[in-house]
Amino acid sequence: MEIVENALSAGRSTLTEYEAKRLLSGYGVPVTKERLAASPQEAAEAADAIGFPVAVKGYGAALLHKTEVGAVHLGVPDAKSVAAVYEGMAKRIGSGLEGVVISEMISGRRELVMGLHREPGFGPCVMIGVGGVLTELIDDTAFRVAPFDDSEAADMAMDLRAKAIFGAFRGEPAVDMGALSKSLSAIGKIGMNHPEISEIDVNPVIITPKGAIVAVDALVVLKGGG
Amino acid sequence: MGMDKLAAHPLYKIANPDSITILGASNKYTAMGTSILSVIRELGYEGAIYPVHPKEETVQGLPAYKAVEDLPAVPDLAIIVLPTRLVVDAMDALGRKGVRHAIVVSGGFGESGEDGILLQRRLKETAAAHSIRFIGPNCIGAVNPHHKFNATFLAYRQKPGSIGMASQSGSFITQMFDYLDLFGLGFSTGFSVGNEADTDIVECMEYLAECPNTRVIGLYIESVRRGARFIEAARQIVPKKPIVAYYAGGTEAGRKAGFSHTGSMAGPDRVYDGVFRQGGIIRAHSIEELYDFCWCLSACPEPVGNRVLIQTHSGGPGAVAADACDRAGLVLPPLSDKTRGRLAEYLPHTASMNNPVDLTFTRNPLDYLDVIPKLLLEDDQADMLMMYMLTPAAQVRRAIESMGAEPEEAERETLNFIDRQSAKIAAFMHECPKPFVGFSYSAGENRFIRRLHEAGMPVLPSPNRAARALWSLAEYRRLKKKIADQAS
Repeated sequence: MEIVENALSAGRSTLTEYEAKRLLSGYGVPVTKERLAASPQEAAEAADAIGFPVAVKGYGAALLHKTEVGAVHLGVPDAKSVAAVYEGMAKRIGSGLEGVVISEMISGRRELVMGLHREPGFGPCVMIGVGGVLTELIDDTAFRVAPFDDSEAADMAMDLRAKAIFGAFRGEPAVDMGALSKSLSAIGKIGMNHPEISEIDVNPVIITPKGAIVAVDALVVLKGGG
Repeated sequence: MGMDKLAAHPLYKIANPDSITILGASNKYTAMGTSILSVIRELGYEGAIYPVHPKEETVQGLPAYKAVEDLPAVPDLAIIVLPTRLVVDAMDALGRKGVRHAIVVSGGFGESGEDGILLQRRLKETAAAHSIRFIGPNCIGAVNPHHKFNATFLAYRQKPGSIGMASQSGSFITQMFDYLDLFGLGFSTGFSVGNEADTDIVECMEYLAECPNTRVIGLYIESVRRGARFIEAARQIVPKKPIVAYYAGGTEAGRKAGFSHTGSMAGPDRVYDGVFRQGGIIRAHSIEELYDFCWCLSACPEPVGNRVLIQTHSGGPGAVAADACDRAGLVLPPLSDKTRGRLAEYLPHTASMNNPVDLTFTRNPLDYLDVIPKLLLEDDQADMLMMYMLTPAAQVRRAIESMGAEPEEAERETLNFIDRQSAKIAAFMHECPKPFVGFSYSAGENRFIRRLHEAGMPVLPSPNRAARALWSLAEYRRLKKKIADQAS
């Protein structure tokens, strides 16, 4: 994948969120619909295509800590507001802003985390856990060593204490376990195919009211990073 | 089961040597090598033994040879218990002699710093140059009581068993001999893998999978080096034989602060939990559990599911058993109407026909050990039975005396009664298609329970341990099915 190669040759230690989601999406992990836009006009058009409301996030290889510099705007309601948000960001951030990412807004009451790390002696290991901001506090995770197939991924999900999260919940249907299993085995494949990736975090993976899963944020750490 | 495949395995001659040489045994009783030679002879090893000693004419009464070159034959196996600095040269001499298998007990290699790591590399290269396969260094050896071969430093006095063990700590081979004997258990073959410079725990698993005396494989693990191979080997073995593992180092200390959430939430304990499930390996949470699981897995048939009936004549132990089953994730089904109907004629009105089935007492005391477990095991709602066991000899004797027996006769009859009843129930347990185990707070000091242990019936020393062991049977079935489904 050239996303990873380009980042490495640019001497970067992480992929941007946008690149990370392109990588995941390329392996079949469902991610939020999003587009890159390099002007207020393009941003408004992209938002129109995705459907309102949208999230507008500043984009730039050097742009870290997006929330702190006011580069994350959620629930932006219309095209005019999108263009205005872009202009405001450009003024505040200056040359560090290469553009913005327009993403669909995903809501859901259940959140998961998926990830990858490398364990000495075993190689790439995939994690699933109960996700969101309380991930570390809830501390409910399961691991498998890549590569593994979808049925092993489903078995892994059933290791969670909170496995009931995958069932029907408050009027919402059960989770699409096929998509969930494929996503976990896909993250394992990324680990197998890209030895230069040391860690992946996909948090949160939101379970939509229809039981679909969507990766909303993602971090990919490259070797030498972290 | 291929004998050819078994005999061709690098560990075959290490566990089944027809002749051995030992380097480092002497007449000085404090030496490790001396202890090893003593216990080899104590178990009655039947092959030729050639001690090598630079000065002694005889070692423990056996003719000794000054050097490896002087040996009158090429032994199947060399046991090296020499000071560290002599080991590499000894390996070379053995190779030139034509020896192809070794156990390196000596320490001071990879486990002790930079110099040790270099020396271990030289040892491995020297062995490889002569095509020598070895276990160790820094191990306590191997035991195969079926071959009357015990190359560890503690005596094996028990009968041969069916637990095949590979351990990254020598203690859980040698120091378990007496512990296992408490329950009438023993090893089929045990390997202390030491530093795994050449053969490793994966090869031990593969050997034990082929070993006809081994019904269940036990592992003590501190760190697996060939992780992917370990998982793959386990998945090949589990459809044929269960594997139980205890992982030490299961602390959160291994968690390192990572850049990502995943990095910070991954610790080796969590990863090993996943590795074991992926490999179809049943994880034990203590050494007692490791052997409890091995015990029941080697003695019991596979259950169809996880539904357990509990039979007791005492309320408390039955209630604790129910609680323990629930915690272990086992299901306690109600008795079927058919079973209730069949039981009614044997029970007093005080009995409870719920689950636990609490008989309080029975019209005929022998029914407890005979007709009632049979009826319960025929209940199609239940997959397994666990029975509370007491049968104190004093009570039996009182019953016999009350029928008018003289004290001497009563004593004799008591022992006969216990032996007859235990043999009968063990025979039934062995032919029953469903798992049937006992639990008790008594153990080997109780003759009835001792006899059951000797006859191969698991009677676990607490309801909690019995419940967890029954869980291991259901878990084995689940894991085996998972692997079979994935293969198809």
